[in-house]
Amino acid sequence: MSVTDPSSSSGLESALLTYREQLLRFLRARGAGDAAEDILQEVWIRITTSNLGPVASPLAYLHTVANAVMVDRYRSVRQAEKRERDWADVHTGEGEVSSEPSAERQLTATQEAAKVLAMLDSLGPRVAAIFRRHRVDGLPQKAVAAELGVSLSTVEGDLRTAYRALAEWKARADGEER
Amino acid sequence: MASSEAIHEQALDWAVRTGDPAFTDWAGFTAWLEADPAHAQAYDAISASVAEGAELLRVAGPANDISASHEPVSQAPVSSRRRWLGGVLAASVALVVGVGLWQRERADLYEIATAPGEIRTLTMRDGTSIALSGQTTIELDHNDPRRARLKHGEALFTVRYDADAPFRVAVGEDRLVDIGTVFDVRLDRQGMSVAVSEGAVQFNPDAQNVRIDPGQRLSHDIATDRYVLSAVAVGQVGEWRQGRLTFEQASLERVASDLTRVTGIPFSAGAPGGKPASISGSVLIAPIRKDPQAIGDLLGLEVIRTADGWSLAPL
Repeated sequence: MSVTDPSSSSGLESALLTYREQLLRFLRARGAGDAAEDILQEVWIRITTSNLGPVASPLAYLHTVANAVMVDRYRSVRQAEKRERDWADVHTGEGEVSSEPSAERQLTATQEAAKVLAMLDSLGPRVAAIFRRHRVDGLPQKAVAAELGVSLSTVEGDLRTAYRALAEWKARADGEER
Repeated sequence: MASSEAIHEQALDWAVRTGDPAFTDWAGFTAWLEADPAHAQAYDAISASVAEGAELLRVAGPANDISASHEPVSQAPVSSRRRWLGGVLAASVALVVGVGLWQRERADLYEIATAPGEIRTLTMRDGTSIALSGQTTIELDHNDPRRARLKHGEALFTVRYDADAPFRVAVGEDRLVDIGTVFDVRLDRQGMSVAVSEGAVQFNPDAQNVRIDPGQRLSHDIATDRYVLSAVAVGQVGEWRQGRLTFEQASLERVASDLTRVTGIPFSAGAPGGKPASISGSVLIAPIRKDPQAIGDLLGLEVIRTADGWSLAPL
């Protein structure tokens, strides 16, 4: 079959080869350092194991996946650091054991979710609805704008407001832990 | 070098823009990242916070499965948009605190759509589940979880039976009322079809009022404008969910439409005006997703590469 087929993984594979240097450069700029090659491999594995529909722009799609891999890596590094801190706290007798029973973890997650919801609510119903439709339900920003009958720039502005508040919430939560 | 506040503001902009599937300026984003290593750090911190917030909301429960509202019934009517927004938020809060206030009132509609090749299962508050095939749009009602409208595509309904509140599905101009059921509904350019594997479905109670029993398929062909009741193997109802498609004396258009929906790869029926094909066979979806040409040998078709996909023709 043709290698230029953009709707199959073989089309993406050829795009990955074509744009390899560009993607490595992006990964390094994203902070991948020496791991850029390994991460590109991870990007490829993620693409081949996902249930993929047609891709309009292979280059943009590859960047999107690479970017998502980097965010996931950042998050897992942060979680590992947190576990290490908790562990150290246990040994100095200053904190709780980190391996809580899962019901308790679930409760913590529920309470955190309630906190996030209350915080988004406080930004106004439109901000909260736009955030949910875009980030939770996965609608493109243009579709959210059409659904709510607002302009695209309103959607962008509201998302910015929500992101700023979430960044502050996370910074606060991390600060409390220490 | 910019101040950390300025970097934070720029990173917020990039986080909003790069989060949209329509974003294409990755070269511009790369250039911004390369200007200062602090840029990537600020961007990561924001992206991670946003991802975590979104995950918490997702775990707390999708808003589209619940329709509780915090608004007292006696409250003065509000505009429909306010109501919609309120509903979304109230729904999330209700699940988190575990309080659900039922409210029967005006329709509060919302749509869920899947991309070609994407399969998604919705679980409703009453335990009913709706599996959506690819390229499918369904309309649901926050205020009435026992109602759905298939606007396009294919969906498999597994309905929790409730004699007092029968589940109703609108498909184009047709109406279905379930009688305790697993049934598959399809609506595309060729027409409409309902196939039942368990229980029964009452079709157009106000018009034809036909009962569709397990192992039966009722279809409406747009070209002939005829309703036909035919037999279908119960195991074949909704089998696209298990990664399989079975055709029995199907037209090329039917094969192309079903394949496109489940694989996400554009298939079309080639050679218009050619003699109508009658295609029978059962195929697994995964191998076709990997190699669209494989469908040729499996169903005895010619598969031709076109500018925007694959064209099917009789051999």
